[in-house]
Amino acid sequence: MLLLDYQNVLIESLLKERFAGGPPVSIDQVVSDFDGVIFHISTPESKSKILVSISIKCFPELVQYGAQAVMEREYGPYIVAPESGYDFSVQVDLDSLPEDQESKDDLVRRVSLLKRNIMAAPFEQAFDEYHHLAEEASKYTSESAPQGVQEGGETRSIHYREEEAIYVKASHDRVTVIFSTVFREETDRIFGKVFLQEFVDARRRAIQNAPQVLFQNQPPLELEKVPGVNRSGSNDIGYITFVLFPRHLTAQRRAEVISHIQTFRDYFHYHIKASKAFIHSRMRKRTADFLQVLRRARPEAEEKERKTASGRTFRVQS
Amino acid sequence: MASQTPAVVMDNGTGYSKLGFAGNDSPSFVFPTAISTKAPAGGSGGSGSGRPAVANKPSFLTGGAGPGGHLSAKRGTEDLDFFIGDEALSAAAGPGYGVHYPIRHGQIDNWDLMERFWSNSIFKYLRVEPEDHYFLLTEPPLNPPENRENTAEIMFESFNCAGLYIAVQAVLALAASWTSSKVQDRSLTGTVIDSGAGVTHVIPVAEGYVIGSSIKSVPIAGRDITNFVQSLLRDRGEPDSSLQTAERIKEEYCYVSPDIVKEFTKYDREPEDKFKKHTVTHPNGRSVTVDVGYERFLAPEIFFNPEIYSSDFLTPLPNIVDTVIQTSPIDVRRGLYKNIVLSGGSTLYKDFGRRLQRDIRHLVDARIKASEVRSGGARSGGLDVQVITHKRQRHGPWFGGSLLGQTPEFRSYCHTKAEYDEIGPSIVRRFALLGGPGST
Repeated sequence: MLLLDYQNVLIESLLKERFAGGPPVSIDQVVSDFDGVIFHISTPESKSKILVSISIKCFPELVQYGAQAVMEREYGPYIVAPESGYDFSVQVDLDSLPEDQESKDDLVRRVSLLKRNIMAAPFEQAFDEYHHLAEEASKYTSESAPQGVQEGGETRSIHYREEEAIYVKASHDRVTVIFSTVFREETDRIFGKVFLQEFVDARRRAIQNAPQVLFQNQPPLELEKVPGVNRSGSNDIGYITFVLFPRHLTAQRRAEVISHIQTFRDYFHYHIKASKAFIHSRMRKRTADFLQVLRRARPEAEEKERKTASGRTFRVQS
Repeated sequence: MASQTPAVVMDNGTGYSKLGFAGNDSPSFVFPTAISTKAPAGGSGGSGSGRPAVANKPSFLTGGAGPGGHLSAKRGTEDLDFFIGDEALSAAAGPGYGVHYPIRHGQIDNWDLMERFWSNSIFKYLRVEPEDHYFLLTEPPLNPPENRENTAEIMFESFNCAGLYIAVQAVLALAASWTSSKVQDRSLTGTVIDSGAGVTHVIPVAEGYVIGSSIKSVPIAGRDITNFVQSLLRDRGEPDSSLQTAERIKEEYCYVSPDIVKEFTKYDREPEDKFKKHTVTHPNGRSVTVDVGYERFLAPEIFFNPEIYSSDFLTPLPNIVDTVIQTSPIDVRRGLYKNIVLSGGSTLYKDFGRRLQRDIRHLVDARIKASEVRSGGARSGGLDVQVITHKRQRHGPWFGGSLLGQTPEFRSYCHTKAEYDEIGPSIVRRFALLGGPGST
């Protein structure tokens, strides 16, 4: 498994089973997803009505960046009033499912991507803004462009974790996505540095089409005017900048790019842990091998003078 | 961040792993504890060119098995090329992958595989960031402390989990029985009968501590019952006697009878009521009907009369339970008899608990009577024998973990990452008793 899935496996398997005509049972599960997201899957009214609620930390921010419109588009008729304690709910009625298998699968996929779709709102908005700005900018030469077009739009900040945030900024020739990361663990920081260096180098070496990646401890210039950015420049905080170029922002690539970039932090942490597991595995192997060597080693047989009971010794006849 | 997230409860058993979040009444995922990795490159010894590998390092440095053998010889992303759970079994059915079971007899056998198994369970299935969550893991009784330390090393150093608690499965099974209406006081004293697929354990627990010297295991469990059903089907010449069919019949029709002789006559008297028909639909659309007869009550009977199934193990389960309690310290015996808790899939047969209770009570009453006679007229106050059946038996340990993991004081019982960093792996040798006296 190189990449993480975007959908929640539990929701997916649960809905698939029920849609395929599994026995009606009541469900009541509170499950967690990455970044402190909490799902509540339940059947509050009757066993055929499945309610999926999500609680996400940065929901007010996401609404501000157009999450409501995205959710309307994705879930339309399934949206219900949010359950208390949660931010957003969809309800699927098993008795009025779409007829054919294909649209059923599509519904399962969409519901299991609930978190991804909510988080996608600011990205979609930024991508739209980029297209708009690009159109504007084509009317001017680079010198005569008005201030707004040249600088690009506002910076959208999504505080999806307590100490970490994503910043998205569109301008007329690119979209910049900046992650701020905090490492509490010394080892993780070192692993993280190596990884990020690899990201930066990958583009230089082999994969020319990859977005440009920058890594620094100081907040990048794009975040100059954003309030609440930690500018201490200490080693614990890193800023990872992805620069998405027009070729990443085409309509057909868009969904994939958003999914990838959203899971970046989890992907990053997953691989740090996988590398540690790999190193541990090698260490265990090495220890086992050295132990084997030790076990094989016998002390050299010492040449001892052998005596008979009366104290006489034998001499080897030459 | 970790303040509101539910604790992760993982119960990794020999056969199945149960994963989920505390506070739920059933695990989110139940799948085989299996991991399939790329098999060491077929039989060709790893080098595609066909010539023997040239060893330019002493063999102990290249990893012993030469090229292709161990992960340590690999330089790519082979370490991520694996599947766990049901996916592992289906991947192993195809070419290129070999399936491994990292847990043997309840104890972790291969730490490399287990570390990767956990990594995938956390990131792919549970989808949690381990930094944000507390973890509750389980261990079998008599797990050596070194294994605990290894587990802690992996959980804290690889995954940086926020906090860790390792509980003994039998104790969690006792906690799970608190949901039963028969249990009045939430004590952690009792005898746990844990019967899964491979083996049945009888474990006495006093005040939350396992009495290790009295544990007994019975080599009869779910798999044996399935085999027994299968052999009965074969003897009768049924049209389908596959292991799957036998398992289905076992799960759907079997029950425990109070008396086999009476049950036989009942079957002869009212055959249409007792004999059932089981329809098996093959994947190709054909379906056959299998008669289900005496195996309905004979199969679980092998717990009570093992001689009908096995020739080398002959002690009935009630006698084992009685022996276990009799070898325990005398001051806890009363509590052990009063709280006999069932756990695991093979204890789910209808009336299993009632039959067990009756048989144990007979043994106890006979012994009391004998001692009354010997003492010459002294009267005994009697002894209360009670077998507890409850709704969460199937995933008993997991459910107990979920129950205890959602209590507000759970976090204070855990060892946190900071404590681990301060003291080291030996910290997990001791855990305060969760759910013990003094807690709610």
